[in-house]
Amino acid sequence: MQTDVVNYRFILTMVVANHGDGSKVLSEAKKIGIPGGTIFFGKGTVHNHLLEMLGIDEEKKEIVILASEAAYEDELHERLNNKFNMHKPGKGIMVSLPINKLLYTHNCVEEDSNRDLETGGKKEMEYQAIFIIVDRGLGHEVVDVATEAGAKGATIINARGSGIHEKEMFFSINIEPEKEIVMIIIKKELTDAIINAVKEKMKIDEPGRGIIFVMDVSKASGLRD
Amino acid sequence: MSVLPVSLIVILLNFTIAPIGSYLLWKFIIGSVFIIMGLTIFLFGVELGIQPIGSLMGETITKSKKIWIVILFGFILGFFINIAEPDLQVLARQVSNITSGVLSQISLVVVVSVGIGIMVALGLLRIVFSIPINKLLTVLYGIILLLAVFSSESFHGIAFDSGGATTGSMTVPFILALGLGVASFKGGTEAEEDSFGLVGIASTGPMIAVFTMSILSSIEKLTGVSSIQVGEERGILSSYIHEIPIVTYEVLMALLPFLILFILFNHLSFELKRRQLRKIFLGLLYTFVGFILFLVGVNAGFMEAGRAIGQTIALIGKDWLVILTGFILGLTVILAEPAVYVLNEQIEDVTSGHIRKSLILFSLAVGVAVAVALSMIRILNPSVHLWHFLLPGYLLAILLTYFTPKLFVGIAFDSGGVASGPMTATFILAFSQGVAGAIPGADVLLDGFGVISMVALTPLIAIQILGILFERKAAKRS
Repeated sequence: MQTDVVNYRFILTMVVANHGDGSKVLSEAKKIGIPGGTIFFGKGTVHNHLLEMLGIDEEKKEIVILASEAAYEDELHERLNNKFNMHKPGKGIMVSLPINKLLYTHNCVEEDSNRDLETGGKKEMEYQAIFIIVDRGLGHEVVDVATEAGAKGATIINARGSGIHEKEMFFSINIEPEKEIVMIIIKKELTDAIINAVKEKMKIDEPGRGIIFVMDVSKASGLRD
Repeated sequence: MSVLPVSLIVILLNFTIAPIGSYLLWKFIIGSVFIIMGLTIFLFGVELGIQPIGSLMGETITKSKKIWIVILFGFILGFFINIAEPDLQVLARQVSNITSGVLSQISLVVVVSVGIGIMVALGLLRIVFSIPINKLLTVLYGIILLLAVFSSESFHGIAFDSGGATTGSMTVPFILALGLGVASFKGGTEAEEDSFGLVGIASTGPMIAVFTMSILSSIEKLTGVSSIQVGEERGILSSYIHEIPIVTYEVLMALLPFLILFILFNHLSFELKRRQLRKIFLGLLYTFVGFILFLVGVNAGFMEAGRAIGQTIALIGKDWLVILTGFILGLTVILAEPAVYVLNEQIEDVTSGHIRKSLILFSLAVGVAVAVALSMIRILNPSVHLWHFLLPGYLLAILLTYFTPKLFVGIAFDSGGVASGPMTATFILAFSQGVAGAIPGADVLLDGFGVISMVALTPLIAIQILGILFERKAAKRS
């Protein structure tokens, strides 16, 4: 692990791809060893006066999020850049962000980085965002468990996706099961309690049950304490 | 994609076994161009206009949290959206003709619209009360079966056709979006499963209505003559010009209820921003223009070509050739049905892309191909009756609902109404009538009916089988 090059161990890579490219991005990423990814739909705008006037200035996009070890960062960017010509306009964008904790099954070994990010001289971060990705229909259960552990609220996003443990095929088509992304913004001190409770109850450490990652949030508004 | 495959097949047939003459061929090619343009514009319009209106209305109705509002508005929306549907007008005229006016056109339109209104209200109640879709469908089709037993056999074709025919290209996207709007309040897996099925439930309305009317009016025999017009020889261009005002009027009438209901609802509760409002009106405008182009292309270019191909191929005298041609035309024609794209988009959105468009499209194509091929067998053999296919078909479809994942049950029954759109109602119907006209002993009028009901039936089975296979695979993962 080249922890001396980067000062964080895990990253979240977010790819905004054209409609229909999401699954291709995911399978490319898996080829270089990324453990899995999640895809959801979004809308992008087109800057073109004629199209705006005609009312067709929105374009369907697919957003792929990939959580992985930071060591994959350069390879992932290079590979997807080449494959999808992202240097050209309108072909998509991708960004990688550092994440604090990443929990998933990797041959039943739990990965956990307890190292806090360096905050770059800023004040200590007060809040964190927890993302829990589970199978469709289990999102509400996650929210219940998290609420018991101290969460005040949560947002559920519909998505699809697959990890290395899920590779069922239907004829030549890869089945990507439906998922739900649960996002919880919470005071830093409560993070561990929540992720432990969710890990425990949802059996995240069993293969194919889900993934949890945590990011620092530099400012949060609209939260009730 | 869209209309290209079927165009290529027809051109290929023209230069091999079924020459239709350069006049019809040119009309057909121009029609294809119209359809490609029309379909693209129409689909933009549906996405910008019809679907947002449907979802907004569904959400507004559900937000009221009053059951009587759900029932009342479900009925009103179902009734008004359908009463102006051009396909329903055509159907009613045909029924009126073959019953020698015993059932008048206007009474049929009203009764069928009431039927759809009741079923839309019932379908919405199903979503609200989480009634299992297979139980409701079992009851509804049980009623239809019972009515079919008690009514004269010559009515079967037209009654079963009415289910598929009346759920037209504008109603289907609207009803789909309406169901989605109501179901979206439930969240989780339930919302997903309940997002589909409303079109399927709605299309039982016309069948029940037509059967009931035929029994009440106790008509034993259909006496009228075929209302098929033998197209006058017009210039290629003038036949298009001839169609434009007719189609424009029809589309305008069909679109009017959407416009009125939308303006009404907007005043009462939507409070949309100007930007949103502009988009919806633009959407309705696109729907209008796109659908006119589409229908002009189909009516002026495809109908006669379909009939000519059917006739030419049947006259060759080889039964297997007729069946094979029917199969191939069925396989390709589904790609040009507007509502198919709308259903596919909605499936993709609701399942976040879990169910691929290509899978649904493939199953639908195979289903429709089998339907057209079976219809050809029926036309070629006077001893084979429509109910020989419909009875086991519907029994199988209902039986499968108890083994198929609920999401796919909804999608399957919706796709029945979706597959039997304007392309089937004109091109495939004309093709079948062409075949029937060339086969001694086949009845052009009666054998023509029933093709649509076959196209509305087979997707129910095809999609459910897809669902069973797909979920079995998907469930296997660790």
